[in-house]
Amino acid sequence: MGLEFRRRDYRAEEQSHSLPRVPAESHPLSAPAPRPCPSPSPSTCQVSLLDDGKDDFFDPLRSVNGKMELSANILQHEDIKSDKTVPKEIYAQSQQKEWNSFTKILMQRFPVSKTISISLVASKDMKGSKANEKSSKDSHLEELDDPQKFAEDVKVISQREYVSRLLELKDEIKLAWHADDRVTSLRLSIKVARLLMDTTTVQFYPNLFVLATDIMDLLGDLVWNRIKKRAEFNEDGRFICYLPDNFEAADICYDAKETCNNWFCKIGSVRELLPRIYLELSMLHCWRFLLDHPMDSLQRLVMMIRGIADPLVSAYCRLYLVRCAQRLPQRDTGYLIHCINDLKVQLLRLISARESTSGNFSGNSILLLSLIEPTIEYIIKCLFKDLNQMEIRSMLEALGMRRNQSDSFENCSCISIILHHILKELPLGFLCSNSFEMLHLIECTDDFSFEQCLNYKLLGFRLCERIPEVSNVDLIVEKIVQVISSYNCLDAYLKVVDAYLDIIFENQFETYLNGILDGIFHGAQEDEIGENELASLQSIFLKLLTHFANIEKILALNHFIDILDVMYGSSRNTINMHILSVATRNGCVQDPTVIEVLFEISQALCDGVDFLNIRKDDYQHPAHLISRFVYMVDYGPEVEQHLTFLTECRAAFGSMSVLQETLIHSSNNLAVKSIRDGNNNINFIKSCLAFNEVTIPSIHTHRRQLNLYLETAEVALLGGFVSHSDVLIDAAVNCLRNVEADDGLLVPGDVDGITSLICKLCGIMVMVPGSLEQGVACIPKLVLSILDSQSWMLPRLKIKVSCAIISLSAGLTQNPLPYHASSSEVMGNDKLFFGVPAYPQELLSFSAVILQKIVNIVLEESSMAVRGKLALEACNSIASSFTMSDEMLGVSSKLLEIAKSCLSADDKYLRLTLKLLHME
Amino acid sequence: MSIEIKLSRFNRIYRSNEPLEGKIIMKLTSSISFQSIRLTVSGTVSLQVRGGSAGVVESFYGVIKPIPIVRNKIFEIQSSGKIGSGTTEIPFSVTLKDPKEENREKFYETYHGSNVNIQYLVTVDVVRGYLHKSLSATMEFIIGSEKNNLPLKPVSPEMVFFYITQDTQKHLLLPELKSGGFRVTGKICTQCSLSDPIVGELTVEASAIPVQSIDIHILRVESILFGEKIVTESSLIQTTQIADGDVCRSMKLPIYVILPRLLTCPTIFAGPFSVEFKVTIMITFQSELSKRHSPYDPKTPRQWLAMESVPLELVRTK
Amino acid sequence: MVLVLALGDLHIPHRASDLPPKFKSMLVPGKIQHIVCTGNLCIKEVHDYLKTVCPDLHIARGEYDEETRYPETKTLTIGQFKLGVCHGHQVIPWGDLDSLAMLQRQLDVDILVTGHTHQFTAYKHEAGVVINPGSATGSYSSITYDVNPSFVLMDIDGLRVVVYVYELIDGEVKVDKIDFKKTTTSNA
Repeated sequence: MGLEFRRRDYRAEEQSHSLPRVPAESHPLSAPAPRPCPSPSPSTCQVSLLDDGKDDFFDPLRSVNGKMELSANILQHEDIKSDKTVPKEIYAQSQQKEWNSFTKILMQRFPVSKTISISLVASKDMKGSKANEKSSKDSHLEELDDPQKFAEDVKVISQREYVSRLLELKDEIKLAWHADDRVTSLRLSIKVARLLMDTTTVQFYPNLFVLATDIMDLLGDLVWNRIKKRAEFNEDGRFICYLPDNFEAADICYDAKETCNNWFCKIGSVRELLPRIYLELSMLHCWRFLLDHPMDSLQRLVMMIRGIADPLVSAYCRLYLVRCAQRLPQRDTGYLIHCINDLKVQLLRLISARESTSGNFSGNSILLLSLIEPTIEYIIKCLFKDLNQMEIRSMLEALGMRRNQSDSFENCSCISIILHHILKELPLGFLCSNSFEMLHLIECTDDFSFEQCLNYKLLGFRLCERIPEVSNVDLIVEKIVQVISSYNCLDAYLKVVDAYLDIIFENQFETYLNGILDGIFHGAQEDEIGENELASLQSIFLKLLTHFANIEKILALNHFIDILDVMYGSSRNTINMHILSVATRNGCVQDPTVIEVLFEISQALCDGVDFLNIRKDDYQHPAHLISRFVYMVDYGPEVEQHLTFLTECRAAFGSMSVLQETLIHSSNNLAVKSIRDGNNNINFIKSCLAFNEVTIPSIHTHRRQLNLYLETAEVALLGGFVSHSDVLIDAAVNCLRNVEADDGLLVPGDVDGITSLICKLCGIMVMVPGSLEQGVACIPKLVLSILDSQSWMLPRLKIKVSCAIISLSAGLTQNPLPYHASSSEVMGNDKLFFGVPAYPQELLSFSAVILQKIVNIVLEESSMAVRGKLALEACNSIASSFTMSDEMLGVSSKLLEIAKSCLSADDKYLRLTLKLLHME
Repeated sequence: MSIEIKLSRFNRIYRSNEPLEGKIIMKLTSSISFQSIRLTVSGTVSLQVRGGSAGVVESFYGVIKPIPIVRNKIFEIQSSGKIGSGTTEIPFSVTLKDPKEENREKFYETYHGSNVNIQYLVTVDVVRGYLHKSLSATMEFIIGSEKNNLPLKPVSPEMVFFYITQDTQKHLLLPELKSGGFRVTGKICTQCSLSDPIVGELTVEASAIPVQSIDIHILRVESILFGEKIVTESSLIQTTQIADGDVCRSMKLPIYVILPRLLTCPTIFAGPFSVEFKVTIMITFQSELSKRHSPYDPKTPRQWLAMESVPLELVRTK
Repeated sequence: MVLVLALGDLHIPHRASDLPPKFKSMLVPGKIQHIVCTGNLCIKEVHDYLKTVCPDLHIARGEYDEETRYPETKTLTIGQFKLGVCHGHQVIPWGDLDSLAMLQRQLDVDILVTGHTHQFTAYKHEAGVVINPGSATGSYSSITYDVNPSFVLMDIDGLRVVVYVYELIDGEVKVDKIDFKKTTTSNA
């Protein structure tokens, strides 16, 4: 008995095995069950996919304009607020942590050059204790060396040297203290404090401050512990009492108080004001041993700092005061307000001095301001901790920042940099309910310490965080429009617009929008577009895009494209990408003018983006966006126009391989649409196929070409274009020949992919009419011969392809075939070769050849487990394709033997296969 | 072998009506016998006059006979006995001022000045016969005023207003200072408790030339009757800067000066001597000249300085 | 009761811009415990979308999937059932019951889910059940352009499975159900 294909009746099998299907009255997705996630209506679900994309995309960019930073600040602020209830000790710890991180940031903020200049006097103070050991008793009388005398003599030392000297001094202080030489400790500490008088290198001052105050803190702690010990133990070291954290002055014994007084006396004898203040501050908390309410001392120290004329030195001194005040158990804001008001007086002086002098000094005062700014920031942050609405009001009044009864701000004197930090710290709720007043305050405050427009911007961004709570929105928008209309600097204009855009949107003031865009357009004509302008424009565009989310509406905005055209570089690319993203978000793009604009944008993007520097898997990759746009274009019934568009795209985006694939998929889709509509536009479909035939060769890898040839071949079959499909299949087989030539090694995923494509080709071949002249099995034969020559082909894959070819051959001999091409133009082989004996014979003899080889292919596999599985796979394929015959059984039993020798006897697959062959 | 006196009070301050208490601590390597252990308390005002003092043309130098307050008052702590080796502590308590005995001199507070010195000493002697040297140690103790006699702290200290302008200066000023003018006003206390700081306030209302520094100097004036003459010497005992640099105009600066404990005492007007104090407010203006000189010498008026002195009465209060 | 969504052959955006809105509105997060997908999604956005519907997502690779990390076949166990998923373009002839049964034996699964033909089918044979959920977007297939969007939801409860077939016909979602039980003998 010879080899014979098993006869199949697909229709009958289908009927007998189909599971009965009945209409369902209810189903799990029907009732709107309570949902854990907030998607309130189906319509929002519909866009959720795209919303996800949007969120990923917009937020990181939005942080550019400082909003994220702000909200982080707010969070931090609230964190601190919640500390209110925690025990004092933890509060103190958190204060310390906060201070530590502040000083760390401070040092990073003002990195210094390697060498710094210091005054000669300071360099003297840098020297250790041994060098100028002096009887400390009347050291105050020896201050005859006038520091001012040498003020102009400077010494240059390296920063590292300076820092290490300070650290050495710190160690010396510790050492001396522990050797009970407290006088030396104090004297060295005074030296350190004195260094803070030196502003020869202003940029170094913040660093110096951090290093020096660290030493001051050390001294303060040593003194505190000493006095505390005196209060807890008597002179002979006997325990008197334990001092609780919340002790009172009355708990302290006379001796301890005397020790404390002594320390204050010692400090009091320091001639220079600044070191004296620093030293007293370091011991400020020690006042608790003497007084229950040391706030008076604090108040006095605030006043004493007024005596420091140098604005930088006094600002940092106030910073240290505020830091030291936090060590006291009492909370008070009075001293902070005084600090800020004093600072204000000094800054006003700096500002007026700047206005009266020219050029040279102004650069210096800007540097000074930048160095002073962190102190303002810190003090104001402290001021706004734990405040309620009423307190805020009275505090603003105390700072001279509240409208008085006469309803005018004429007398209000504020400095923009202070206002800036206050705006930053004011609670959102307060800002929202007093928004107009705040706006007015900004209007009245315009000096060089901080750009006024940035204060407008800050207020805007903060208000945007809680738009529904903002009061007098109409007035605010009106005011802002008025403010920007007076600007003739585009940068400022854009910054303010950017900050208030969300408010303008939220409140339906779109009427203003065209005017604003007009303003931007005209500004852009006159001003140079620099980095700042670009950043603001980018942010503004993002907001417009997010708000309108509809490309037609966006393009209809005044000067939209004109303004877009002034942008360039990465901002331009970002906006282009967002436009594409918005345009393709809500389905098809049909309007020809919109298509044209998007096409141009895509072109600009294609030309402007450096594709090498973008992550390939990022699906907001410009190539993907352009690709998505091309997919979303829909000319409706104007398919010809659509194909023309694809042709234009091919020319425009030739450099993007991904896009070429897009074009092929689109053209195939277009062809299928045309076939489905049945308008019999044969020429058009042929054009589509021709378009693909021309385009596919430009795809980078043969593997991808193979895939696209197959898809196009399928479409050709759907349309009934057999000659096209033949050409395409030939081309596909050719690709297969060349996959090895592709750049880069084939990864296992690729190899599996190619193999599955070969199988798919077999699936297609079921429908393709064969030719006796060429041989009905010519394509499978060709494929097999190619595979034999391919180095990447593994036994596992060869078995897969062999089995597929056996199944194909068996399928091709059935009447009817398992499936036919849908087009009536394509005649199936069942009809074509009905009653032609040569047809099944050829297939059978080809299969017999495969059968002969198959055992050896299986044996090529080195892994036993895999070999066993392969044997079973081949065996199954043979068993379902052929009727029982000696030849068939011969091969099957050989395969089963291999399987049995490789796999365990109770292997499920083995047993199922044996069962199939009725051998169990 | 060592001997020391350890007083009961850490700060060694005693009032004249309080007993002086403490311990005699001996560390001996071998035991000794002694005839007696005694404490000697003495108190003296020593005065000296050095050359070149104010107003005296001829140069003279001399030590004036000290004025005794307590004349070597001896207290027998233990009469003959033996002390074993190791550490021995012998407590004592002696009366300084016998209420029955009328002292010739007042118990002035301890004071160490430059020409006037008021010092109290306590000495321990372990007398060991003629063959052995006595063991002895001396320690200074500090006399503070008797509490009962002290006045209460005034509710508000006596303040004096000052007003310093180019026209109040008696010395020659820099021409630009004279023409440009300046005005510094304020107030400062003139009577002050020794335990309190000198307080006040100061405002630079105007100044054509930038201010370089404002300092508060405390000067001590010691006068001694030397024959027919009164020899006076004033010395600077503390300088406290209250303004560093050209401070903002019209800003009230606090004056807050802690008195140096060891260099001050209550103002004394005794027959043969007196100790008085004064405060000088000194403004140093920025000038090329000032850079080359010390600004801290309040006794020499310079062209770039402006100053104002007020007397300061220091009192001990409760 | 475990709900397993089976769907595939979306061909987004090659052949369809998105899932039909009517399907999307049904596929709300939180209802479905597992998704098995027969592949051809084809882009990452679709993957991410499915993740939002249900994070437990199992995908077999279709020939148009960009993501090369999807396996050709995948199996998972849900309750007492072992499920296998494969796209199906590599099973020759496409959709052939015997060929699918071979794959099912190979994978040793109770329910095999495959796609590629874009036609819903559900067969039972000696080795188990084979389900093809069709194309969720109704895209054209290798064989036909006449496709109704469809997907399948399997309600697995003990040994019983109710298969709900969701098919969009002329703009309306038609839901059919198929009920079957696992025969314990097939497990033996």
